[in-house]
Order: sequence, then structure tokens, then C-alpha cells
Amino acid sequence: MAFSFQEKSLWLMFISLIGGFGFYFMTVLPNDSADVMPHQVVVFVLAVVLLVIMQIVGHIVITIVDRRTETDERDRLIGLKGTRNAGYVLATGVFLALCTALLTEGNFVFTHVLLGFWVLAQLVEIGSQLVLYRRGA
Amino acid sequence: MKNTLRVLRAERNWSQADLAERLEVSRQTVNALETGKYDPSLPLAFKIARVFDKPIEQIFCPDESD
Repeated sequence: MAFSFQEKSLWLMFISLIGGFGFYFMTVLPNDSADVMPHQVVVFVLAVVLLVIMQIVGHIVITIVDRRTETDERDRLIGLKGTRNAGYVLATGVFLALCTALLTEGNFVFTHVLLGFWVLAQLVEIGSQLVLYRRGA
Repeated sequence: MKNTLRVLRAERNWSQADLAERLEVSRQTVNALETGKYDPSLPLAFKIARVFDKPIEQIFCPDESD
């Protein structure tokens, strides 16, 4: 099964997102306080740094292995379809986050529902692109 | 949209990678075009016609479902 540069890059982003934010959510959840605590912000920054390092190193390796890094019109169309699907998830997440802001105390639930749906939207964006590439669309 | 890309490519003994390089797209895109899973934009269709030196309507024809 031959993967194009774009597919390899998408797999890298998918895995690094799960790794980075999986680490974050497993560290901060479950939570006892109503508000986000300073040590949780540190964990968040660590998760983002971990994510960025994984993506930079991974992309350097992929670029060395795969010489063709340019996108073509099909790549761009698949990217747009992924962005559209992510938009639905993100809109739902924003609505639910606003509901939690009204119904819960403190800012922890609100920020984590928002962050969780943002991560989910990213995963849907990348995942739907991977499905479209495998289908040959 | 049906097309004769695979036949035209075979006549010239080009691999999918060769054609992809001429069209400045990925090999996966050439494969998607040949299997009819992806319909090219008008500029790409014109480019394909130029590469094979044939009119577009000799390369692409509408499917019954189109």
C-alpha cells in the first residue's frame, strides 16, 4: 500500500494529536476543582510542545523519504471536504461548550468541552481526508 | 465521467508516475483519474488533452449516470 506525502503527513498529524492531547486529557481528567488550575496549564503547554516536536521531527523524516511534497487539485479538494466535516463538529462543540458555560460552575468544564471538541474536529478533518484518500476519491 | 487515460498511457508505454510527472499531479491522482473515481478540473482536463495531443472529447465522455 503506497502512501503519498499528504497521506503520510496526515497520519503523522492524526497520531501526534492523539498522543499529545491523549497525554493531556489523561493527566487532567478527572478533575476535582471547578476552575482550571495552574498545573493543568503547564500540562497543556507540555502537551502542545510534545505535539509540535512530534510533528516537526516526523515531517522532516517524511520529507526526506518522500521527495514530492507539492499538493495538486485533488489534494486540495480532499482538504476542503475534511475542513467542511470538521466545521460541523466544531460548531456542535461550541454550542455544547456555551451550554456548559451556562449550566456549570467555574471554567474547567467549559474550556475542556471546547478543547475536546476542537481536538475531535481536528481528528475528523484528518480522518475524513484519510478515508477519502484510501477510497481513491 | 469515463475516460481512456489508461489506454492512452499504455500506448505510450508510460507508467502512472511518468504521466503524473507530465501533468504535475501525484501518482495517486493519476490512478484516481484512470479508475474514474475522480473527475479532473477543466484546466487539468485541458492539460491531459495537451499531453496526449488529442481533443478533450476523445479522452473524456459523460457516464450514463452523469
